[in-house]
Amino acid sequence: MQLLVVIVGATFFTSLLLQLLPVGLEELYVFAFDEAGRQEQIRLLHLDANPVMFYLYWLWDFIRGDFGSYVYPTGVLDPVAPRLGDALPVSLRLVVYVQIVALFASVPLGIFTAYRSGRRSDKAISYGLFTAASIPNFVFALVMASFFGATLAWFPPLGYTPPGENFVEHLRGMVLPVAALAIPTIATYTRLLRTDVIAALREDYVTMAVSKGLSNRRILFTHVLRPSSVTLFTSAALNMGGLIGGTLVIEQIFTIPGLGSEIGLAIFSRQYFALQSYIAIIAVGYVVFNGIVDVAVGFVDPRSRERTRA
Amino acid sequence: MRKFFSQMTLPSKLSAVWVAFICLLALFGWLLPLPDPREFDIDAPGVGLFSPGHLLGTDAGGYDLLSNIVYGARTSLMIAFISVGLGGIIGSAIGIISAYRRGRLDYLVSTGFNILLSIPNLVLGLALVAVLATSTDGAVQIPPSRRIIIIIFSLTIVIIPILGRIARGATLTWANREFVVAARSMGMRDRDIVFRHVVPNVLPAIYAILFLAVGVVIVAEGALSLLGVGVVDGVSWGAMIARVAGEFTYAPQSMYVPVTVLALTVISLNQLGDYLRGRLDLREGKI
Repeated sequence: MQLLVVIVGATFFTSLLLQLLPVGLEELYVFAFDEAGRQEQIRLLHLDANPVMFYLYWLWDFIRGDFGSYVYPTGVLDPVAPRLGDALPVSLRLVVYVQIVALFASVPLGIFTAYRSGRRSDKAISYGLFTAASIPNFVFALVMASFFGATLAWFPPLGYTPPGENFVEHLRGMVLPVAALAIPTIATYTRLLRTDVIAALREDYVTMAVSKGLSNRRILFTHVLRPSSVTLFTSAALNMGGLIGGTLVIEQIFTIPGLGSEIGLAIFSRQYFALQSYIAIIAVGYVVFNGIVDVAVGFVDPRSRERTRA
Repeated sequence: MRKFFSQMTLPSKLSAVWVAFICLLALFGWLLPLPDPREFDIDAPGVGLFSPGHLLGTDAGGYDLLSNIVYGARTSLMIAFISVGLGGIIGSAIGIISAYRRGRLDYLVSTGFNILLSIPNLVLGLALVAVLATSTDGAVQIPPSRRIIIIIFSLTIVIIPILGRIARGATLTWANREFVVAARSMGMRDRDIVFRHVVPNVLPAIYAILFLAVGVVIVAEGALSLLGVGVVDGVSWGAMIARVAGEFTYAPQSMYVPVTVLALTVISLNQLGDYLRGRLDLREGKI
């Protein structure tokens, strides 16, 4: 229920953005010269509706998969849905790669640093991670594109190859963008996991397991990592917002034809109906993703279900 | 103050020194004998570090990098400090009042916060700036000074729910403590309770976050520039970075210099925020 309120609120907010424009929508998108043509276009774009009705018209279209259109000066409408169909999978793939890489890298790193907590190797890694977590992803992107992309020419510094076309090239092209987004993410996850694992190692049930003579591996995976995985899930969810924002910037830097590039294009060409839908999609996706994680965490850790109910 | 500084860990000391240095540059940098950041040196485009007359070199257009860093610090820090300051004050005020009052107001405020937080903060900032910075004449860009005001306004809106939620959470835990209940039962006015008992306790939690928030906003300014809606033709760190993005081979220092300064500043701010938070937790733990 709360989820629905937030989704409606967020999409209504994006719809209100159009009312904030310092230029009238009619001035931007109504081009017909004769009065009848003007009225026709105004009615078609619902520009005569009040903000609430304007939102409801948009919502009705949005639910049916009509995400608005680019409006050209000739009066031609170019629907956004096909553009979105091309761009969204590209961005999603990038985000999924980053999350996979980050989770796979941070689990061993987190365990290692927790295991050696307080020693020099842990301190060195922890400081390194703190620094890495503070460096903005576009800094990594630019430095790596310049060094590994342009100077050493190991990876393409720009551009995108669809996986269907040449999968190896696709992966090669994704290395730098994924690394730029993943390094700060890995640092964040590892820090959280380290704290969690240290706390778990002090628990009585771990001492119990050790005294029963269980193998280290068994203790780590069943007794220590399972409760910590909840932290990982929630931090993955919390990080998603930053990651989405980061994806937009990284796509611009590496000229990847994803949602970020589409949003850039929409802003540049002043297509605010398209912009509204893009931002609404990001918000809805983000909220739904967080909702799913909440439910998933409830399955992994039954205690959290009690807490949310209370 | 001196005692506080001498107790700090080495990384925090270095961070404090760096942040102070950057702030001084932003405030008094115009006293330095530097070329105009907007004027290009036609004889020295893309010269490297330590060139005569250009300590940090110039970029491909011949703009002096050091002077752009110094004057850019003013823009970037001004955007960061004003929007975090405004957002912090407005956000904490809303958060503290709603958590203290509870009831319907609190429900409305926290729903409002959740709605704003449901849009990733860079996306929210981008949308606001893009919409508000639309010029009435499509052929003419709006001037940088107005753009800066729009960016500050947008980032303030981004900051409000972030700090507001923290202030609300902190207030919720403090508002039920014995001394608050005691003050209320003694007939103290709500306004006095909030200012005398709640605010002083909630503020430390916010101070530490403020440093992180300044870092977030500096990064956001850079990101907005890269997305094409920042201080496009003005002087800021973001503008410097955006000018060279996609151009890696010619005059690489024009990318490395601003990126390094920005990264060091953000790292320092995070380090200070983290240090402060640790200390405040410690104090709380001792009680």
